Amino acid sequence: MKQGTFKLKNRLGIHARPAAEIVKMSSKYNCKVVFEANGKKAEAKSVLMLIAIGAKKDTEVFLSIEGKDEQLLFEELAEYINKGFYED
Amino acid sequence: MVGIVIASHSRKVAEGIYDLATQMTGSNHSIVQAGGMDDGSIGTDAILIQQAILSADQGEGVVIIADLGSAVLSTQTAMELLENETIKVVIADGPILEGTIAAAVQASIGATLDEVVEAVESARDVLKLI
Repeated sequence: MKQGTFKLKNRLGIHARPAAEIVKMSSKYNCKVVFEANGKKAEAKSVLMLIAIGAKKDTEVFLSIEGKDEQLLFEELAEYINKGFYED
Repeated sequence: MVGIVIASHSRKVAEGIYDLATQMTGSNHSIVQAGGMDDGSIGTDAILIQQAILSADQGEGVVIIADLGSAVLSTQTAMELLENETIKVVIADGPILEGTIAAAVQASIGATLDEVVEAVESARDVLKLI
C-alpha cells in the first residue's frame, strides 16, 4: 500500500479534465486507487466520484494505492498532482 | 472504441453535454450528439438518432443515453430502422449528463460495451452533496 497526502495547487482542483486524466492514468494499472478529501472518498475508476469530492485549490487530498504496480502509479499520480495537473 | 449517442429533446442540451464530454476525452472519442428536431425545435427525431448511431459506430457497438421518456421511444424506433445493420446498440439507463460524462471517459480508455453501459448506470448513484 502506498499512501500520501497532497495539497492541491491549481485553482479548480480536481475538476472535470484532471478527473478524467486520473481515471485514464489509473486504468493502466491493476491497482485499487482511492482519493479522499473533504470527508469524502472516491475510487479513481469513477470520474464522477472524483469530481464529487469537490477538491479545490489548497484542499488536502489523501491518496492510497494498493496493487502490484502501486509504486509506479503513485509516482505518476504524485507528479501529476504536484504539477497542479499542468494548469494555471 | 465504443460509440456514444446523446439523445436529447434539446439540441443545445445535447451539444452542451457533448462539449463537456469531449473536453474530458480530448479528440479520442466517438461521441455523437442527437438533440432536438431537424429544424432545431424541441423534440426527438428517430432519423437523427439513427444517423447518429451509424456515425458513432466504430465496430464495437453504440451506447445511447437519453434525457426523458419519449427520447427512449424515438431511440427504439431508430434501433428498429437499423435492424438490417449489424451494429450492437444499447440504451443505457442513467442521467443524461453525468451518464454521458462517465461513459465518455470509460469509452476513451477502451472499455467494452458492457463497461460503458455500467458507467452510465453507476451515474445514478453518485451524490454531489453529502
